[in-house]
Amino acid sequence: MRRFLRTVFLIDLIEGLWVTFRTQHPRNICTDQYPRERPKIAERFRGAPRLNNHPETGETLCIACNLCAIACPEALIVVSSERNEKTKRKELTDFTYDLSRCMFCGLCEDACPVDALELTQDFEIASYTRDGLIWDRKMLEEGPRPARYKF
Amino acid sequence: MAQTFLDSTELVLNMGPQHPSTHGVLRVILKLDGEKVTGTECVVGYLHRGVEKIAENRTYAQFAPYVDRMDYVASVSNGLGYCLAVEKLLNVEAPPRAQVVRVILTELNRIASHLIWLGTHALDLGAITPLFYVMREREDILNIYEKYCGARLTTHAFRIGGLQYDLYDGFEEEVKRFCDIIGPRVDEYEELLTGNRIWIARLTNVGVLNAEDCKAYGVTGPLLRAAGVKWDLRKAQPYSGYQHYDFEIPTRANGDSYDRYIVRVQEMRQAVRIVRQALDRIEPGPIMAKVAKVIKPPVGEAYVSIEAPKGELGYFVVSDGSTQPYRVRVRPPSFINLQAVDRMARGSLIADVCAIIGTIDIVLGEVDR
Amino acid sequence: MADPQNAEAKPKPAAAPPAAPKAPASMAATPWEDELTRRLAEQYPDQITEFSTYLGQSFLVAKPAAVVSIVEFLKLEADFDYLADLTAVDYPKRSERFDLVYILYSFARNERIRIKTRIADGEKIESVVGVHLTANWLEREVYDMFGIEFANHPDLKRILMPDGWEGHPLRKDYGILQMDNRWVKENLGIESGQ
Ligand code: SF4
Ligand code: SF4
Repeated sequence: MRRFLRTVFLIDLIEGLWVTFRTQHPRNICTDQYPRERPKIAERFRGAPRLNNHPETGETLCIACNLCAIACPEALIVVSSERNEKTKRKELTDFTYDLSRCMFCGLCEDACPVDALELTQDFEIASYTRDGLIWDRKMLEEGPRPARYKF
Repeated sequence: MAQTFLDSTELVLNMGPQHPSTHGVLRVILKLDGEKVTGTECVVGYLHRGVEKIAENRTYAQFAPYVDRMDYVASVSNGLGYCLAVEKLLNVEAPPRAQVVRVILTELNRIASHLIWLGTHALDLGAITPLFYVMREREDILNIYEKYCGARLTTHAFRIGGLQYDLYDGFEEEVKRFCDIIGPRVDEYEELLTGNRIWIARLTNVGVLNAEDCKAYGVTGPLLRAAGVKWDLRKAQPYSGYQHYDFEIPTRANGDSYDRYIVRVQEMRQAVRIVRQALDRIEPGPIMAKVAKVIKPPVGEAYVSIEAPKGELGYFVVSDGSTQPYRVRVRPPSFINLQAVDRMARGSLIADVCAIIGTIDIVLGEVDR
Repeated sequence: MADPQNAEAKPKPAAAPPAAPKAPASMAATPWEDELTRRLAEQYPDQITEFSTYLGQSFLVAKPAAVVSIVEFLKLEADFDYLADLTAVDYPKRSERFDLVYILYSFARNERIRIKTRIADGEKIESVVGVHLTANWLEREVYDMFGIEFANHPDLKRILMPDGWEGHPLRKDYGILQMDNRWVKENLGIESGQ
């Protein structure tokens, strides 16, 4: 009997609609208005790579040890270095990072002994060309410059 | 079939690979007699990336991010299985703190995976609303992942021997808050669906697979439990400390799509229960076992399987003593469960095929690897 | 896109395998003996060559001709009613090149065992589809990836790779960047998939 009444009065459907109705309040909207509002990115987010410079001297932190290139599963990092005759130390000349094949796993970042290589919170790294995804040292040090829109 | 109804000839219909309700690029060739399905054939492999081949050319640690890309809806579970398999070969165990964190993250992942399943499955059957709600809840889980390990989908959350990242400040509160909201939210989904007459009509007695068939086809996970077999690897062969948690294995008797829905919903509730218990078990300590930087397991082989959201996920790893695995075989639950589609769809109506494919909960990334 | 970085990184993996040939011989396995092995040894006295346990996981090595019968015996007499997985491992330097691995599970005993058998390239092995239906796709995958043929399989054809593909990707002599160029050219209209 109860079942019959439920069927006749469409209780099951009304219950469902009530759930829908409850969530109609504008307070419950959870769409991000990107790019008007920029999303909050977690601190540990693995995004665009950056090669850090020393904050004071401005010299690169990278010691050209090549560990990141070895750690990378996709073998997409190429570190070139030169031995400095005066200090007898390897010095970084160029650093290429092929973002088009990177899967942002973070293994390179973990491998770096001096925290020179870092995956940052920048996420706007799309490019119109494949070549645009191959970053050189300059790009890695400066970081991406995504378009800023005016409203 | 010699004589078909009204003398119509058999019709062969191609469904997919681009079909919204095949959950990716699955192609199903349907043989039809009128509206009745008389046979199916699945064509898979469109997403084949040769994960097992890649494994043989990477070091053990390097391969870990790739497993996330198989079942990308449940990447944390994939990672857990792989790490456990290599840990087994190395004969090490993750420290207790790491194990607890692993349990929390994999259970959250189970909820996320079931949520996605629920949303897409309902969408296949014409109910759009649940999809938005489940995505909202899943977002909370993904935010926790993002804060914990820096990625949302292909997380690479675990490392062989433990964890790379320790918990962030506020992790516990956030997970607790999520546990508090998900319960009522699951109630909401149930309000929308469980008693809904369309939902019931579309799912009861559709895609029935009894316990015998399940075993013959190697079908595991919620499908097996919906057929009444109380079997869950977390209980049967506990790993990562699951023996310390108190939870139930939901089962149902009929083995049809509706039962699978109930089982999965119950599993979400049980997962919340496990997460709550795990939160109480978090204790300070190391998060990484003693594992050499260069992982070189002794010569040998091991098969380790875990209860992934979709069923038994197994890794068979063969080591030849070098830094690279000699062979990694993945036993993907989706692939093997998908095989039973033919059994389930035979004799049903063509409109039910979507429901049947949806009810298995496949992810094509895992089917094709 | 032919990738110079990748190409230069790849030779390294190729150089690693020399340790491989002695692989199966030196696994530090211990003998496995219980009531089940006794029964099996009685039933198949000269078909099973080894009962071992490694890391708490038991396996037996059998002659290829007996595999189906052993799997069936285990299913009917010992409750191993669930074939969890079926796969192969390639050891190109061995005369019997492939290891076929059957992973069985018993719900009643909550136990997992592996059956391993060795077969040579080109040798056919009887299919176990008659015993476990799930073997259908698994055997197709093994055929696809390793080129091992199964006799009396209902529908033995490629499953993951396209039908006309040449070569079996998981064989050790199939390079990771290798592909069937003819197939790629004919079907995709491009010179190379790289
Ligand atoms: S994030 Fe991973 S794939 Fe990308 S460069 Fe680093 S190690 Fe390589
Ligand atoms: S690991 Fe760090 S220091 Fe070494 S080469 Fe890479 S970025 Fe430079």
